[in-house]
Amino acid sequence: MQLANHSSCKMFSVKPLKPTFKSYLPPLQTDLKKSPQPTIKKLEAKLLPGEIVVNEVNFVRKCISADSSKDDLWGKLICTNFKISFITHDALPLQKFQYRSRLLGEHDVPLACVEQVVTVNDAKGKQKVLGSNQKLKFNPTELIVYCKDFRIVRFRFDEAGPESAKKVCLAIAHYCQPADPQLLFGFEYVGKRYCGSSGDRVNGVDRGGGLQTPLFDRPSEWDREIKRTGASEWRVCSINEGYAISPSLPEYFVVPVSLADQDLKQYSCFFTGQRVPLWCWNHSNGSALVRMASVRDPAQQRKLDQRICNGITKSHPKRSEALKSDLDRTLPNIQDIQGAFVRLRQICVIEPFEESEEKWLSSIEGSRWLEYVRAFLKHSAEVVYMLEGKRASVILQEDEGRDLTCVVSSLVQLMLDPHFRSLTGFQSLVQKEWVMAGHRFMDRCNHLKKNDREECPLFLLFLDCVWQLMNQYPAAFEFTETYLTVLSDSMWIPVFSTFLFNCPQQHAEHSREFAQSKSIPLGEDKALRFPPVWDWSQQFTLKDQALFNSPLYVGKGATCVQNGAVKTFRRSKKNYSSTLRGMPSSLRNGMLGDLDSLPRRNSLVLRLRPDLSQLREAAESPSERFFRAWFSRPADLQGLLLPQLLPSHLRLWRLYFLRWVPEAQIARGGPITAFHKLSLLADEIETLQRQLRQYKGGTPAPSPASTPGTTPQPEQRRMYFKASAPHDPPSPPEYLTSSFPFSPVGNLCRRSILGTPLSKFLSGAKIWLSTETLANETL
Amino acid sequence: MIERVLEQEEVITQVLAADNKINRHLVPTWHIDVLKSVDKALSPLLEFTDALSVQNTKKIRNRRLNRCFRASRESLKMEPLADVPLLPGEERVIDKDIIYMCPFSGALKGKVFITNYRLFFKSADMDPAVTLNVPLGAINRVEKMGGASSRGENSYGLDITCKDVRNLRFALKQEGHSRRDIFEILFRYAFPLSHGLPLFAFLSQEKFEENGWNSYSPMQEFRRQGLPNDKWRITFLNQSYELCDTYPTILMVPYKATEEDLRKVATFRSRCRIPVLSWIHPDNLAAITRCSQPLVGMSGKRNKDDERYLDIIRETNGTTSKLTIFDARPNVNAVANKATGGGYEGDDAYQNAELVFLDIHNIHVMRESLKKLKDIVYPNVEESHWLSSLESTHWLEHIKLVLSGAIQVADKISSGNSVVVHCSDGWDRTAQLTSLAMLMLDSYYRTLRGFQVLLEKEWISFGHKFASRIGHGDKNHADADRSPIFVQFIDCVWQMTKQFPTAFEFNEHLLVTVLDHLYSCRYGTFLYNCESVRDANEVRTKTISLWSLINSDQTSYINPFYAAESSRVLYPVASMRHLELWVTYYIRWNPRIRQQQQSPVEQRYKELLALRDQYLKKLEELQLSDSTPHLANSTAPSSASPTQRVTHLHTPF
Repeated sequence: MQLANHSSCKMFSVKPLKPTFKSYLPPLQTDLKKSPQPTIKKLEAKLLPGEIVVNEVNFVRKCISADSSKDDLWGKLICTNFKISFITHDALPLQKFQYRSRLLGEHDVPLACVEQVVTVNDAKGKQKVLGSNQKLKFNPTELIVYCKDFRIVRFRFDEAGPESAKKVCLAIAHYCQPADPQLLFGFEYVGKRYCGSSGDRVNGVDRGGGLQTPLFDRPSEWDREIKRTGASEWRVCSINEGYAISPSLPEYFVVPVSLADQDLKQYSCFFTGQRVPLWCWNHSNGSALVRMASVRDPAQQRKLDQRICNGITKSHPKRSEALKSDLDRTLPNIQDIQGAFVRLRQICVIEPFEESEEKWLSSIEGSRWLEYVRAFLKHSAEVVYMLEGKRASVILQEDEGRDLTCVVSSLVQLMLDPHFRSLTGFQSLVQKEWVMAGHRFMDRCNHLKKNDREECPLFLLFLDCVWQLMNQYPAAFEFTETYLTVLSDSMWIPVFSTFLFNCPQQHAEHSREFAQSKSIPLGEDKALRFPPVWDWSQQFTLKDQALFNSPLYVGKGATCVQNGAVKTFRRSKKNYSSTLRGMPSSLRNGMLGDLDSLPRRNSLVLRLRPDLSQLREAAESPSERFFRAWFSRPADLQGLLLPQLLPSHLRLWRLYFLRWVPEAQIARGGPITAFHKLSLLADEIETLQRQLRQYKGGTPAPSPASTPGTTPQPEQRRMYFKASAPHDPPSPPEYLTSSFPFSPVGNLCRRSILGTPLSKFLSGAKIWLSTETLANETL
Repeated sequence: MIERVLEQEEVITQVLAADNKINRHLVPTWHIDVLKSVDKALSPLLEFTDALSVQNTKKIRNRRLNRCFRASRESLKMEPLADVPLLPGEERVIDKDIIYMCPFSGALKGKVFITNYRLFFKSADMDPAVTLNVPLGAINRVEKMGGASSRGENSYGLDITCKDVRNLRFALKQEGHSRRDIFEILFRYAFPLSHGLPLFAFLSQEKFEENGWNSYSPMQEFRRQGLPNDKWRITFLNQSYELCDTYPTILMVPYKATEEDLRKVATFRSRCRIPVLSWIHPDNLAAITRCSQPLVGMSGKRNKDDERYLDIIRETNGTTSKLTIFDARPNVNAVANKATGGGYEGDDAYQNAELVFLDIHNIHVMRESLKKLKDIVYPNVEESHWLSSLESTHWLEHIKLVLSGAIQVADKISSGNSVVVHCSDGWDRTAQLTSLAMLMLDSYYRTLRGFQVLLEKEWISFGHKFASRIGHGDKNHADADRSPIFVQFIDCVWQMTKQFPTAFEFNEHLLVTVLDHLYSCRYGTFLYNCESVRDANEVRTKTISLWSLINSDQTSYINPFYAAESSRVLYPVASMRHLELWVTYYIRWNPRIRQQQQSPVEQRYKELLALRDQYLKKLEELQLSDSTPHLANSTAPSSASPTQRVTHLHTPF
């Protein structure tokens, strides 16, 4: 097996020393208003509340294409305490569409998204990776910013003042490595909201503008989840109020009714991080999914195991024994995953496009990313079998229970419970199994760039697993792959409570401290309230948020046609979707677990093992039989979903990994073009539904929303692409590409590639010679 | 007496075989007559044996004898098989209890039915039953495995290799040479041409609303392209295949080239396959022309007529300063071909031309590549090193080279440069390149009917050697002429449909159906190597066209996402980043994969379409029933009717 080139990964892993000074305040006075420059006077940074300009330089060129400078944009490069901003009046060439964020401009990169800063001096042939608080002995002619979201952005300083250019580079390198969590921009940003007028303050205190996603930071939300899943033998436990027991557990969590608070308190000290078992979810058959840290003291292990298992068993209606699944032993660890990710990034965006073509497949395999995706999906499917097939409760055990457990537990619930495949359900799942369960987002994202060994894209791995499921069952999910991509990008915008902290306690502590040190009036709040990422209006307009909605979704309440009759889907085991009906009978073969017993076709010895039928019984494990039985039936999109795990059926998530690669863009093509047509149809149907409702609701409706004669507000419509006129099948718009809604233009500028992408790949046809080739050429 | 019947059986078989060789077209009726008379002669005997069997007389319960009766009787009736109705013209030949060695479910007891068209198996005790339905045309090779003395329960049987990426194994009872008859029958009917029997396409009595043979008319297609014009003319020089026996009868050649010129050029092109027009750009008049390699040879021969002819082609459109000659082969292969009299257009000889090698490998490389692919997907998908195994088959890499070659052709044409495309003989890689480039350039070929025209024109009429490449009805499975060139082309088309889901009027189901009937021998469409042989065998009058099937029920082949865009050139991304293995074709036999007739997205779209129509209908009904009472209420500002409102909903993006 060919492994990816490790040495070439070094670019990313070189990390400078720790920064030595700490403070963004007082702001360095390079205020724009004081230095008006006549020619470019309108080039002003758009700043958010709490955002300040640190340094800036004029007459900078942003590189657009790798090989020529003709499309480059002229403008000003600014470093603030939040982002690297490039302001220009020039319009981007070639670009027909880009998703716009409310927090970031077209060319902006949040500092938290910076992976590495490289400065170059062409004349001297020098290149340096810049870290915080470092010196630079040459004047840079070029700045290359490698981003965590796979972008590579390049700026040239040929016409810029050399000193200011150097200063900006140093500032960027310094400010993207905050020395303290409270220097993350979110604190200033959220703090400012409390300091502002009362109107602003509402914004800050609000739980997110009518947000429907439960945050699981209060007992009532856990109670509701217990009721929803029918987990009658489980209760909300508040022994960790004020984080009295465990710093990394949430204040409220769910435990078996039979375990008393007193016992739990007593057990807690034996668990890693005092993390007593947490309930995740209940199957309708009564089996429960539980997550648990390992027991530190081996002497206590058996006793504790027994007590915990007893408690869980008592909460099972059939008193079935709980099964334990040790994740540390079966799944890759965080270093493995990080390594795979770094190799994959290398292959996808760093290596020159054409050179990596020939070995593309084996390189992807060598990165092991897909292998890990498959491992997590497979393990989760096994857990599903235990819960559904064996009707047993399952305990997921991991050392701390804050990493691999998050992935497995969320995937299991996603496969078993259609609620989590709705948008709100999915968000509540991430909130419950990641944010509240104490996934170390701050460490895993490496927001402080302090400890590279802790960095791990576990959440992205989870999103990739979700994407694989979505790719296999596109109509089962309410949200789109654009949603998953935008969600993962939001990790690098350090203002959301979701991805900023290692656990709720850290969130509470830092924001309390920050408020105190800045004398921020918190009012009734105990701490600063960061907006959760689920408050999407922070980032996008309602219209843009419509890109999250899948037109295919067959959800609860969504209508669907079954055998010609319009039906409304309800959650029910018997309700098969007509989608997968009618498998050809010739294909209803069973499957056999291990088939090595069959000799290859080409072997000369055509002998069969006599005992094949017995072998079948032996080779097929119960879980395999369970999967086989499931696959032989039509899939119920509102019921259990199992992933197809053959390696041939797992794909690279192209939108995420290749969206910035210009050569990989399919102009006016890709899955989005079919999605576009689907959206138009779904929108038309929604409009018809509204009209039908108006009829059914009787004559002139009193509510203003349905005032006759007015067209519905675009905000009310679920689809991003709107039907213009019925029965008019428009062709896909010009701006649709396989990268939509993202655009590679100016977002991936590798250095030193000659030739235009098209000519590159056209002439890149490789020749491999073999003697056979020459001999066999037809004449 | 029993001995005599058995003897008779052998004689009849011999007579049948001998007669088939002489009088192929009379076989069906004659066959039936013989069997009828045999049946008649034997029927008293049948009663006799039945009576004897009651008495348990072992000697007379000879299984061969019984089978002889059964075969002769049942072939007269048109009984349906276990589940599947027989096709008109399809006849049962033999039934047998057998064990299917399913690679997924293990050994399955059941019954196999063999007809003159297919092998059908149904398991006896599985629920749901496992069935196999294999057209005999898809069989590549039938072998016996194990001997009567082999040990083990299931070690005596048949091994069948199929052309459609699967293998089948059957086990039989060891006693009584139970395998001999089924092997012989299978061997005979799977390879009818090797046994002097007709292909099933000549026996089929299927009837369709539309006659698919009319789906392509060369004249009509040329007219669609605006031809002939003042630069291009039709020549009937090949009317009776005297210019080139592997070309179609009607050819489009430069106006300025005389018939004499064409004859002279033919002497310098391999197998007389001269450059002729395949497609012309409607606006810039750049033309795709196709041919075979020039006969340059070791001595580097030149031919003034050929050189002048290519220059005439260049001049047909004013904007081509240099005619681009795309040689599909790798450079070294082109050089190697000189040794056998072939070669390529040298710089000195063809001054106004540029030669580009496209590095596409030959039929043997492609055959080996697909063989390797089969090894990693059937019966099991290689689990541990899937991607590197896939890479080592080079299948996708070959796809990439073919596609990027076609992109280069299309790119030249759209920028107004005429091109000549050839490989060695101009019937494999050349057909791939011209047809794919045409698919990129001309949206007509992306419609269901246009695609048929494309296949009929560039592949069938221009002599892609389907008979040699596929080996229809021929037992010689190791023939070096066999190669999956057409499969590879369809795979390229599939890759394009994946990259442009709205650009094609047809769907994946059409592509799979085309490939299934590439092998099945049920339709005449893909039979024989070229038009002249097809004419000699009267294919158009004696067989049915695949397009009859397709066009008589188009709905299942229509891509619901299709959005017609007339003037758009499609440039797929020929990169490993986007090319993927066509799992729904190559891995479709694996039961671990949920088999879907349609992609779930396609299916959902159709559901939504039905839903919309239902809502529209309901709304209409409501409006109708509402119109009177609503008029009374119309003082309220609800006057805008819902339908009107729909048209108002113009929200430009």
